[in-house]
Amino acid sequence: MLLLEKIKKSYRQPNGELVEILDVPQYEITRGEHVALVGPSGCGKTTLLHVIAGIVRPDSGRVHLDGVEVTRFSESGRDRIRATKLGYIFQTFNLLPAFSALENVMLGMTFASKKRDRQRAQQLLERVGLAHRIHNKPRAMSVGEQQRVAVARALANRPVLLLADEPTANVDLRNQQQIVKLIRDTAQEEGTALLMVTHSVEVSSEFDRVDQLEEINMSAKLAKTQPSVSE
Amino acid sequence: MLTICSMALGVMLVVAVLTIYGVVERSFRANTSFGYDVIVGARGGNAQLMLNTVFYLSKPVENIPYEYYLAFCNQETRARELKNSLAYNSHVTRQQLQISANQMGVMVPFGGALSLFTDLAADTVESMEARDMTLDREGNMYTYTDVAVPLALGDYFNEKFRVVGTTPEFFSEIVLDIDTNKKFEFEEGRAFEEFNSQHGFFECVLGATVARESGNRVGDVIYPIHGDPASQSAHIHEQGFTIVGILKPTGTANDRVAFTNLEGHFLMEDHAKPIDEIPIFGQSGPIQPADPRVQLPLITPINFEQPIPVGQTTGVESGLGQSEAVTPQEVRRETAVSSALVRTRLPIEQREVTAILVRSFTGQNELVDDDDLDLLGEGGDDDRILFMDLGMGQAIGSMVNDGQLESSLAWSFYRPDRAQRAAQAISPVYEVTSLFENIISPIRWLLLLLTVMICVVSGISILVGIYNSMTQRRNELAVMRALGAGRTTVMSIMLMESVMLSLSGGILGWIAGHGLNVLVSPFIEGSTGVTMGFFHFAPGPSLSAIFGSASSFLPVGVQSWELSIELLLIPGLILLAVLVGIYPAITAYRADVANSLTK
Repeated sequence: MLLLEKIKKSYRQPNGELVEILDVPQYEITRGEHVALVGPSGCGKTTLLHVIAGIVRPDSGRVHLDGVEVTRFSESGRDRIRATKLGYIFQTFNLLPAFSALENVMLGMTFASKKRDRQRAQQLLERVGLAHRIHNKPRAMSVGEQQRVAVARALANRPVLLLADEPTANVDLRNQQQIVKLIRDTAQEEGTALLMVTHSVEVSSEFDRVDQLEEINMSAKLAKTQPSVSE
Repeated sequence: MLTICSMALGVMLVVAVLTIYGVVERSFRANTSFGYDVIVGARGGNAQLMLNTVFYLSKPVENIPYEYYLAFCNQETRARELKNSLAYNSHVTRQQLQISANQMGVMVPFGGALSLFTDLAADTVESMEARDMTLDREGNMYTYTDVAVPLALGDYFNEKFRVVGTTPEFFSEIVLDIDTNKKFEFEEGRAFEEFNSQHGFFECVLGATVARESGNRVGDVIYPIHGDPASQSAHIHEQGFTIVGILKPTGTANDRVAFTNLEGHFLMEDHAKPIDEIPIFGQSGPIQPADPRVQLPLITPINFEQPIPVGQTTGVESGLGQSEAVTPQEVRRETAVSSALVRTRLPIEQREVTAILVRSFTGQNELVDDDDLDLLGEGGDDDRILFMDLGMGQAIGSMVNDGQLESSLAWSFYRPDRAQRAAQAISPVYEVTSLFENIISPIRWLLLLLTVMICVVSGISILVGIYNSMTQRRNELAVMRALGAGRTTVMSIMLMESVMLSLSGGILGWIAGHGLNVLVSPFIEGSTGVTMGFFHFAPGPSLSAIFGSASSFLPVGVQSWELSIELLLIPGLILLAVLVGIYPAITAYRADVANSLTK
C-alpha cells in the first residue's frame, strides 16, 4: 500500500554544506498495518513523514501510495492526494483556534472534496469521546481532548494511511497509552494503516511491528557509525 | 477583533472628516451660489456692503434713496411709486389750485407763502419735465434687469438677529442655488404680502435659526429693536410684525434673519427720512428752517393723503429699558392691530433702502440676440453665470459706478454733487470669493490636508493590523496546507479574510462616523445652517459631471444626482484590503509547509 523506493533527500545548511538526511533504498507498509517508527532525534523521522505526505519532494526516488506514484505529481496534485488519502496527526495537534472541535474536523473535509459531512464529523468526535464538547473551541479543552480532536480530524476523509508524528510527546505516560490505544483502535475500525513516529519505548511496545529508522535510513545509519566533526 | 476596531476607528474618522468637509464645502457653495449678480448700495467699502447684504454682518452702511430702486423697476411699478411722492402730489395740488383760482377768477390770495408755493410747484414741474419725470417709461436700468429686490437694514430682533425689510419678491424671485434653481422654501406658513387685509403692512417671515432660537411660531408678533442693541440709543419699536411664515434652513446667513415687509419697515418710527432733510428739487441744498419756503404746503398738501408714520401715533420715544416699562405688551398689541389698518404708504422721498439686489438679464431680452450669447459660450449654467458676471451685470456695475445711474434718474432728491457719489455697485460673487479665498480657503485646505492625513494614517494602521493578524496565522495556514489545502486556496483564504476584516471594520466605522455626525449636528447646524442626519452623506460629483456628455441619455432629474464620495469607501476598502492582504497572502502561498510546521 505504501512503497518507498530509493528515496534520497538532502538539505543545504546555512554554511553552504549539503547534508544528506534521507537515503531509504526501500520501505513498505501493507494495507491496514500498524507500524511504530523509532529513532533518536534528528535522524530524519519528520522528513520521512513529509516525503510520504508529499509536503517535501525527495531529490530522487519514488513514493507509491495506494497504487499511485505520488512523486510523479506536481505540488497541487500532491496536495490533493494528501487531502484524500492521508491523515496527519501533529506533535502539537495544530488545531485552528478560531474554530470549534466540529469545525476543525470538517475543515479537513473541505480541502478533500468541498463536501462537508457533518454527520461523520460528529460520529468521529463521539468515537473519540468528545460528544459533549463538539462546539468547544480548542482553548477550552485539555491537552488530551485537543489530541482527540486531532485524531478525529486526521481520520475525517477516510485516509488509507494515517501519519502520526510523535503524538504522545507532550502528554504523560498514562495519557500516552490512552491516546495510542485510541489512535490504533479508531484506525483499525476505519481500516487505515498507521505509521507512528515515536521515540518512546512504552509507545512502541504496543506495536507488533517496530522499525528502527537507522535500519531503514542509510544516512542515519552512516551518521551513527561515523561520529560528526563536532563530536 | 482588535484589527476590526482599529479599522472601524480609521473609517469613522475618515467618514466624519469627509462629511464635515462636505458641510464646509456646501456652506461655501451656498454662500457663493447667488441668485443675483449685482448689489447696489451706498458708496463705501465693497466688503462692508457685501457683508451687510450677503451675510447681514458688520456695521450697517449708509442708505441710498428709494429712487435708485425705481431705476430697476418696470414702467408700471415705477409709475405707481412715483405717484406716491410728495412732488407728484404737490404738482397735482398746484394744478387743482390753479384750476380753482381760474374758476374763481381771482388772484391767489395769501400772497407770500402760497405764491411762493405755486412758484415752486411750477419750478418742480419744470424740473420734473426737464429731467423727464414721465410716468409712462420704465426705469433706466430695467433693460438690463431681470429681478431687483430692495433691502433695508438697521433693526434687530432678539438682541442678535438682523431684521431686514424687503419685498415679497425676495422669496419668490431670489434663487438660492443657481445650479438647481432652488428658491426659499417655507417650513411653515407663507411669504408676507405687500398688504394683508388682516395684518396690513406688518407681516414678517423668520429664518430657520431665528425661529428655532427665539421659539416664535407663525401667528406671534415680534417687536424689532431700532439700532444696534448694544448702543444706548437703541429702543424697541412700538410697531410689531406678525409672523406669517418660517423658512426652511438654507445653509446661508438668511437663516439668521427676520424678514419684514419693506412697506411696514418704512412706516416704523425713525425709519422715514425727515421731511426737512429732503432737498428742494433743482436747488443746491435742503430746505432750511429760515427759508420762507419751509411754510410751503408741500409738506402738508391739500387734498393729499398724508402718511402718518406709525411710530408717531404714540409719540413714545424711549431707551431700550424704558420702552419695556412704558409700552407693555397690551399697548403694543393694540398698536399692532390699529396700525394694521393703516393703508397709507410712505411717500418715496422719505424712503431709503440699504441695498438693491439685482439679477441682470440672462439673454431673454430683445437687446441680446443669440449671436451675442454664442460669443460667450454654448449655453448651459456655467455660461449663464459667466454671462451674468460679464454681461449685463457688468454693464449695470459700470453704469452705477461711473455715476451714470444718478444722472439718468428721473429726478434726484439730492444735490448733484452728493448724488453723484451716492451709490456703488459690487459683484457679490467676486467679493465673497475674494473673502473666502483670503480667509476661508486656507482653512478648507487645512481641513482637506487633515482629511488626507487621517485617511493615510488610518490606512497604515489598518495595514499594520491586518498584516499582524495574517502573520499570526502563518502556522494555521501551514496546518491547512498539511491537511491538503493548495497554495491558491490558502492565498485566497488570506485575501478573503483581509477583505472581510476591512469591510466589517468599514461598516462599523461608517456607522460610528455617521453617529458622530448626528452628535455634532446641532453644533454644525447652529454655525453653518447645514443640517446633518444619520444618512447625510459626504457630497460628491454629480452623474452629469462623471459621465460628461454621455450623461444625456439619463433622465434630466437623474443627471444632477450626486454620488457621495463615501461610495468610494467600498472599493477603497477592498483595494486597501487586497493591498494589505496581498503580501501575507503571497507569503502564505510561498510558505514552506515543512518549515512552518516544525517552527
